[in-house]
Amino acid sequence: MVGALPIIVRTELLAARNRLLKRNPARLVILAITLLVAGVFLGGGAFAIGATAGHFLPFALDTLLAAGFTGLSLLMLVVGFPTVIASLFVGRDLLQLVVAPVRNRDIFVARLMIAVTANLLLSFVLAAGVLGVGAGAGAPWFYFPMALLLIAVQVLVVTALQAILMTVILRWVPAKMARDVAAAVAGLTGAGLYLAWNLNLRKTFGRRGTAPDISNLASVVQRIDWLPTTWPGHALSSTLQGNTASALFWMLAALALAALLVATAELLYGRTLVLGLGVFGGTTTVWRRRKAVTGSRPAPQPSPRSGVGVQRAGSPYFAIARKDWLGFRRDVRRLTRLLPAMLLPLGYAAALSQPARNLSGFWSNVALVTFLSMFMSSALATPSIPSERRGFQLLRLAPLTMWHLLRAKVFIALPVVLATMLVFSVAVAVASKSGAIQLLELVIFGVWLAFGFVSISVSGGAIDPHFEATDDRRSVGVLGSLTSIGGSLGFSVISIGALALFLFGEQAAAGAGNLGPIPSTPAVGLAMILGGFLMVAAGCALVAVMLTFANARLRAFEGSISET
Amino acid sequence: MATPVSQAAPAVEARQLVKRYGTITAVDGVSFQARRGEIFGFLGANGAGKTTTLRMLCGLLRPTSGTALIDGIDIVAQPLPAKARLGYLDEEPFVHPHLTGREFLDFVADLYGMTRGPQREERKARLLNLFDLAQKDGELIGSYSHGMRQKIGLASLLIREPSVLLLDEPTNGLDPRSARLVKDLLEELAARGTTVLLSTHILEVAQALCRRVAIIDRGRIVAIGSMDELRVQTGSEGANLEDLFLKLTAGPESREMIERLLEGGS
Repeated sequence: MVGALPIIVRTELLAARNRLLKRNPARLVILAITLLVAGVFLGGGAFAIGATAGHFLPFALDTLLAAGFTGLSLLMLVVGFPTVIASLFVGRDLLQLVVAPVRNRDIFVARLMIAVTANLLLSFVLAAGVLGVGAGAGAPWFYFPMALLLIAVQVLVVTALQAILMTVILRWVPAKMARDVAAAVAGLTGAGLYLAWNLNLRKTFGRRGTAPDISNLASVVQRIDWLPTTWPGHALSSTLQGNTASALFWMLAALALAALLVATAELLYGRTLVLGLGVFGGTTTVWRRRKAVTGSRPAPQPSPRSGVGVQRAGSPYFAIARKDWLGFRRDVRRLTRLLPAMLLPLGYAAALSQPARNLSGFWSNVALVTFLSMFMSSALATPSIPSERRGFQLLRLAPLTMWHLLRAKVFIALPVVLATMLVFSVAVAVASKSGAIQLLELVIFGVWLAFGFVSISVSGGAIDPHFEATDDRRSVGVLGSLTSIGGSLGFSVISIGALALFLFGEQAAAGAGNLGPIPSTPAVGLAMILGGFLMVAAGCALVAVMLTFANARLRAFEGSISET
Repeated sequence: MATPVSQAAPAVEARQLVKRYGTITAVDGVSFQARRGEIFGFLGANGAGKTTTLRMLCGLLRPTSGTALIDGIDIVAQPLPAKARLGYLDEEPFVHPHLTGREFLDFVADLYGMTRGPQREERKARLLNLFDLAQKDGELIGSYSHGMRQKIGLASLLIREPSVLLLDEPTNGLDPRSARLVKDLLEELAARGTTVLLSTHILEVAQALCRRVAIIDRGRIVAIGSMDELRVQTGSEGANLEDLFLKLTAGPESREMIERLLEGGS
């Protein structure tokens, strides 16, 4: 069937067009504007950074380019993995292709074109940066098409590698664990990448007001110089140095590697396609809760933990909390997807907790606690309602109001955020040698933030839930994400403002404040404290508005939720 | 929750229910009543509006106009007491894949505020045994077959003994033995006073179980009544439910269509 490939590709394009057209026109416009703004800012920023480096750091271009390509490859390896799995091993349309007289090679090539999309999107930033390097360094004209070709080749290499990785996992790992192993590999690689990146970032750009210290980055790149991910970087830096033979060598090596990996992936894919569909294309892989029971057995006896002998009414709150906890514990994929998100704020906090900031120690700690609470709430609480998936209908059928559900979700996420925030507050307070009073202030502030951020994040998820999404990261729509982020940022500003008014107001009332042109008098202090209370009221109002809006949206939900 | 219920009120009542999606009218003025302890059939072709009507009756969809009453309680105006009285089983039951059958039953029981204790445990064990799910006790629902999901969905309704059951294709995917079990169970429940609104494509099941049926076609009720009443309405003496259904939802004759198709192909 020579003609199958164009037919499959044409159908995929048609399906993509239909998916786009089905969207609300307003959302399409928002998406286009977001892409445009992100393109201009990210692309423009990356181009400017590249051009600056190309002009001012000619001695470090090989290091920077090799590190850029390696960084992109790692990012693609982690972030693009779900798309590769979804494109190559998931979908009823794939089943249709398997039963049709279509060669595996055609299926592979057609699906590979979809599988590369996420990686291609990620490569856009590097492309802008690499083109910027060329512009800054005054590269010859052929540098630019060569850079784009090498980036495309790198995308292909990583995608083929991901396909090979999946086929190996499918062949060597028991089928029912394959999905979880794949997710664990991606999650742990992502977590490792974040930490390594943050540590490197600290060492390279740690000191403010001084030039970046490239030596650390250079020593890292020297150690990984043999990695094929650095080859395109070497090819481009050789071109910039005018060493055509070396550039040709590295480029041919990169092309040969890509050809080899794609051919290997195609070969292995053909042998594991059906197995992969069995694992990924069907229902969710789940474990047995305990060892399988063989043969017939008597009627199950109530377990001692199941409340026998205890006559009390069941609580919907605890029922939802227990169900969420069990679901989290048993769904390794959700955990591994959450892992990088949980490490992100910790990594950033570590990277940002630099000494010699302009802010005093206490306010630096306030900023860190705010940042951590906001990110933790966003990671944990935002998808909490959309992650109900079809189970949401069960909750709608039950004699519960949506207020009950919102409250339940807030109280489920709150302990985790509170616990993390309290541990972190104590840690930063001890590290910065803060006194007991400052620690108490920090903890009270953190508790207030946790309540606010969790409520706002839960509301954001409820405002625009995508119950059909199989991945928590895609379970909240653009509106919900923007509302959640906007609400959280607003709440941060209000909360920090209130704290500042309380603290400085107290100092002013005592006549001990150092407020620049503002006099430190009891009247000014009182006015500032009153202003603080007004800010607190504004924070409460913001949370109340978000929850009310979320409640109204959930009550009005009428969509049918297909099998997820 | 303690809303008084008039025993004279029908267990399920649809009054001029309308559901529109933009310019499309999915359900157009549907009215019927199901009496207490009755198994009422709700029949229609694919896309006729059965599931939309059921979803309006159970509160998953808000009617564009009209009223849905459960035990005389308006489900839009007083959703909580109405929902506490009914159990709805979707074509694809709403279950949680990462819970075991036993845990899921506990979840539903707690959700409806059922008292924990030996009685509840005993009922849970009996239901798991009844539906042959006891030996799957350690397995998560995500690994269940479609039929088993259907069974755990039914068990989750029965654990709390609702007075009204709205069932959308309850025998879908069940093996013959389980399908028979469900039919017997529904008859027994109806005999004990539970009202069952049964939406199904399997006309033999409807004919065997339902005292009265309503037939919906393109969003409108085209006939309602007992088998005898439907025969009188259509002037088809001795016809079975399948003949009546086809007559009432008349489209092109299938034999004629098949002949045309085969002629076109040869």
